[in-house]
Amino acid sequence: MMEALRLLWSRFAESSVQLFEKMQTVSHKVLAPIFNPMNDFLGGLPEWVASVFGVGIFVMAMVWVGVFLKKDYVNRGRPYKSIWTDLRLWTCLSMMPHVVFYLYFR
Amino acid sequence: MEIVGLHPVDIVIIGVYMAGTLLLGLYCTRYVGNAEDFFVAGKALPFWAIGFSIVVSDIGATDFVAVAGAAYRNGVSAANFDWMGSMPAMVIAAFLFVPYFWRSGVFTIPEFLGRRYNSAVQFINASIWVVFLFMMLAVMQWLTADKLMHTVLGWNTYVALWVVAAVTGIYTFSGGLTAVVFTDVVQLVVMYVGGFGLLALSLWEVGGWSALQSKILALGPEYQDHFKLLLPHNTTGPFPWTGIVFGLGLVLAVAYMSGNQVIVQRTLGARTEWDAKGGMLFGGFMKSMIPLMVALPGLCALVLVPALGPEDADRAVPEMIRIMLPAGLRGLMFAALFAALMSSISGALNSVATMFLTDIVGQVRKWAKKAPLSERMGLHVGRAMTAFLIISSAVFAEPIGNQDQLYVYIQTLLSFFQGPVLAILLLGIIWPRATGYGGLAGLVLGVASAFVLNYTPGLFPQKDPFLFMAWWSFVFALIVVVVVSLLTKREPAEKLRGLVWSSVVVDEEAQKALGERVSS
Repeated sequence: MMEALRLLWSRFAESSVQLFEKMQTVSHKVLAPIFNPMNDFLGGLPEWVASVFGVGIFVMAMVWVGVFLKKDYVNRGRPYKSIWTDLRLWTCLSMMPHVVFYLYFR
Repeated sequence: MEIVGLHPVDIVIIGVYMAGTLLLGLYCTRYVGNAEDFFVAGKALPFWAIGFSIVVSDIGATDFVAVAGAAYRNGVSAANFDWMGSMPAMVIAAFLFVPYFWRSGVFTIPEFLGRRYNSAVQFINASIWVVFLFMMLAVMQWLTADKLMHTVLGWNTYVALWVVAAVTGIYTFSGGLTAVVFTDVVQLVVMYVGGFGLLALSLWEVGGWSALQSKILALGPEYQDHFKLLLPHNTTGPFPWTGIVFGLGLVLAVAYMSGNQVIVQRTLGARTEWDAKGGMLFGGFMKSMIPLMVALPGLCALVLVPALGPEDADRAVPEMIRIMLPAGLRGLMFAALFAALMSSISGALNSVATMFLTDIVGQVRKWAKKAPLSERMGLHVGRAMTAFLIISSAVFAEPIGNQDQLYVYIQTLLSFFQGPVLAILLLGIIWPRATGYGGLAGLVLGVASAFVLNYTPGLFPQKDPFLFMAWWSFVFALIVVVVVSLLTKREPAEKLRGLVWSSVVVDEEAQKALGERVSS
């Protein structure tokens, strides 16, 4: 009985692995033509593009909060009106060190 | 491995620290009277406590050990997870997601998704997070017991495992989120003192920053990129710039800061909306210093402990503590690592218990047409769940947590579901046309697409393409949500009031209606 169960399990495991490998082959055939040209293009980009994107994310976040969002929305619920409780200033101050890091470690 | 015995001063420092944390946690029990106190600290947390707690809960022992290990193997690019992977995402979380969660009065993110989409989305999302956080609990316990306590102190791994489980379990069980947050504040101070102490001593030993750079660059051609944050797309390491910017900066990090119950739960306990947003920003700023005290010691270990090798790099920081720190400071540093672990575990425990009660037990009772649990009963079930989780995760700690390249392992686990979760959260808030069926299809098919991408070899230049998995599963889930939503019936305007961008930001009446709905 145990031997039969073991045999059944090993056949199940074997067929599962085969099915998994078949699925991998199919997905590779479908997806490789999409991803390979993208990898070639991105791999050929110069290094400064990476820095522009890296620093750009921090700058864009600052601009979004500082320029595009309404002041009332950003600071809603603040305890008292003062420049030190303005979260737009907090955003810029907390972003600046990151910009420096990404420019330094290029 | 040689084990350095503990000096009595170290034992006193560690003992005082552990007892103090336990007492502080137990003291917070007096503030816990019902489920809201236990899960969201009675909505009374100031911004500084939220910020401290987010940092400590987020970095945890996994960062002290695993990020240092990643820096040892791959250089400063490992710091991206605390820089690119934090501040921009925390700004987006603070100003896009947190106001909605905070105003809607929810306990959990799945609960928000349940209100916006349907109960199936809530249940699936909560189940995924509960399973993931359970695995993280096991990983964190194993990491500290084996890679920290065994390496540094020479304790038996299994004894260490149960000591950790007992201490963190007791104070989280008793004091809930209030205990978690206020012990976090103390732990952050200890961590920063210990972490910067280790950094200063490591740099001193190496001969300063310039000497560190020249010594590592002289190790060979494979170390020439060790001081670059953004590596080429076709690097064989796990952190190419494209993955860092798109996969980490725009998806994984945003999903983590906006959809991770452990993080968001602290902002849900804020006393005002300003405190919730300010806490996120303050936490992001504090977090930007983490790589200095975590990744840089990992780089110093490359010079000071070269025999360690890439395969054992996760032992870099414990080895540095063992070799470099004198008695007393070693005890303090160990207390810092223990602090990181305890706060991560207690934070995860409290969050899993919250989601289990609200989104799994709550939904099952709703489907069975039973009345919701009373406040008192909810508190008891939350505490019982906390006890069960800490014990069961300790039992499974070794098989789940004993992995090579821990950081990549953890991030890969996250990448299976973070992209789709972010897609449905984002569209749920900014696009009123997104429907319940769209959200459900986006979540399920998005996770399936992540599995396909991970298990199809040869699609990306990296062996561990988790960053690309996150990005592409996010894009795929976005498309699925849009297509299915357009094919299904529009949600009634009444259901969306107070839950989408247009009705929350400008409509005070919607706020009032939402408040009434929450209180009812």
